[in-house]
Amino acid sequence: MTPQVQPNAASFGTSFRQVFAFFFFLSRRTGKARVFALLGLIPVALAVVVRMVMPGRAEDVAAVFSQILMVFFLTFYIVIISLFYGTSICAEELEGRTLTYLVTRPLSKAGIFLGKYAAYVALMVLMTAASLGLSFFLMNGQRFRDPGLYLAFLRDAGVLGLGIVVYTALFAFLGTFLRRAILVGLFFGFGWENVIQYFPGSTQKFSVVHYLKSLLPHWSSGGGTLAILLFRLEPTEPAAAVLTLTVLTALFLVLGAWLFRTKEYLFEE
Amino acid sequence: MTVVIETRNLSRYYGNVLGLSDVSLDIESGITGLLGPNGAGKSTFMKLVTGQMKPNIGTVTIGGRRVWNNFPLFSRVGFCPEQDSFYEDVTGWEFLTGLLSFYGYSDAEVKHRAARALGIVELAQDKDRKIRSYSRGMRQRVKFAQAIAHDPDIIILDEPLSGLDPLGKRRLIRLIKGYQSEGRTILVSSHVLPEIEAMTSRIILIHQGKILAQGDIHYIRDLIEKHPHMISVKCDDPRDAAAEFVRDEGILRMSFGTDGRTLVVETHKRDDFFSRLQAVILEKGMTVDEISSPDDNLQAVFDYLVGK
Repeated sequence: MTPQVQPNAASFGTSFRQVFAFFFFLSRRTGKARVFALLGLIPVALAVVVRMVMPGRAEDVAAVFSQILMVFFLTFYIVIISLFYGTSICAEELEGRTLTYLVTRPLSKAGIFLGKYAAYVALMVLMTAASLGLSFFLMNGQRFRDPGLYLAFLRDAGVLGLGIVVYTALFAFLGTFLRRAILVGLFFGFGWENVIQYFPGSTQKFSVVHYLKSLLPHWSSGGGTLAILLFRLEPTEPAAAVLTLTVLTALFLVLGAWLFRTKEYLFEE
Repeated sequence: MTVVIETRNLSRYYGNVLGLSDVSLDIESGITGLLGPNGAGKSTFMKLVTGQMKPNIGTVTIGGRRVWNNFPLFSRVGFCPEQDSFYEDVTGWEFLTGLLSFYGYSDAEVKHRAARALGIVELAQDKDRKIRSYSRGMRQRVKFAQAIAHDPDIIILDEPLSGLDPLGKRRLIRLIKGYQSEGRTILVSSHVLPEIEAMTSRIILIHQGKILAQGDIHYIRDLIEKHPHMISVKCDDPRDAAAEFVRDEGILRMSFGTDGRTLVVETHKRDDFFSRLQAVILEKGMTVDEISSPDDNLQAVFDYLVGK
């Protein structure tokens, strides 16, 4: 069995691409993907109910419910899926004892960590976009000719996508060094992130959701149809919000990749 | 022969627990058996050699290059882990092609290698079944396939025969021996002496994280032969049987069980005793219900070697 083609030691970029392809394929097969896809059907079902119960009420109802759906997506759906996928980047390899198959290959450890992160983010963005798209256009069915509708959808989808990118980076970072990262993540995602919004002044800037909401005009304007849900948001400038979210993502990913490279992971006996 | 894997004063601790202590070894091409009871440090040693763990003290190198975080080196190494763990939701084919894609091969090369490796372990027909549905033996074989699919120079196999039926074991032993003839370096661990013996005559004995002995199997065999064996024979008349053996040279001690039907013999010459026992059974028409060897396990031998 003489080798015909010598294997190549992958660079970071190659490691990243190969790990991304493998885990993007693998992640679609899991029960977790099915559960979160089903969860994503909740807003779709709600949109169907609203359209059936109030068929005559057009734009005002649609606007209100679209924003309620955004509350669901922004403060629950993207947080929970990012939490479960982000923390599992390391944890599932340790619990399943499959990390061996990755770290004994000619792959850079940073490439493994970031490739898996990117694969999970891609999957989550697709699931969220499908759920948001279906519910959004069901709710706004009467405005198909309005170009503003499509712009609003792209903006909402973009903010949710950015949210997934940031939250997953944070939870992936936690997962590299905490055995029970999911508990810490639950506390952060559903405790800290929600409570801190009620605080006036700059305190609320210590949450990710603050910057995401700052990118949504109907919230950051301080009024609108859902002012009651704004919790006295004192928005950050959109450019500064995007910059902050980008810096946070980069920071968490660099720290996570560095920890994954240097830390030694042992399976529990 | 050239030294392929070299360790110097290699030590590894798990908190306060000793995993491996001051191990200095030169492993050359060919098959080397790492023999030791469960918990001896075999897996720790293999994890250090495959870069999954960092040594606390000492060094481990492959071809003169350090192992820890030196991922380009791993294109030369194939590792079959001990644990029965997989990405369960994929098929055997997807598992292999997925892992092979990490080596930077073209798609055609990945498929060619996956098909060949699955063929070698006789799983070609089951390649499209999910790993979740594989039997223990099939899982063990697909695990072996992923270790050899990229034609590594160095193959490290952690208890590769566990979970296989006798026929499966024989096939895998034949395969492993086949790789030896191609000039590769194979390090294989087991806690069963005959398994290692069937693959190689070059053995390293490891116990409680320390290397007890290394060398030719015959040397190890001699060491083990010096260890007195206890054999228990359950028969209809143990005292009559004892009378037959009492003058035999290799017998050190005999005692009787409280059930009145058991003879316990301690001997230096186990093989001789079994030959004699066979002859006595036939000669006297003895009815034997059970023959067992209470300490015929590696742990007892190791305890003896370390002077416990």
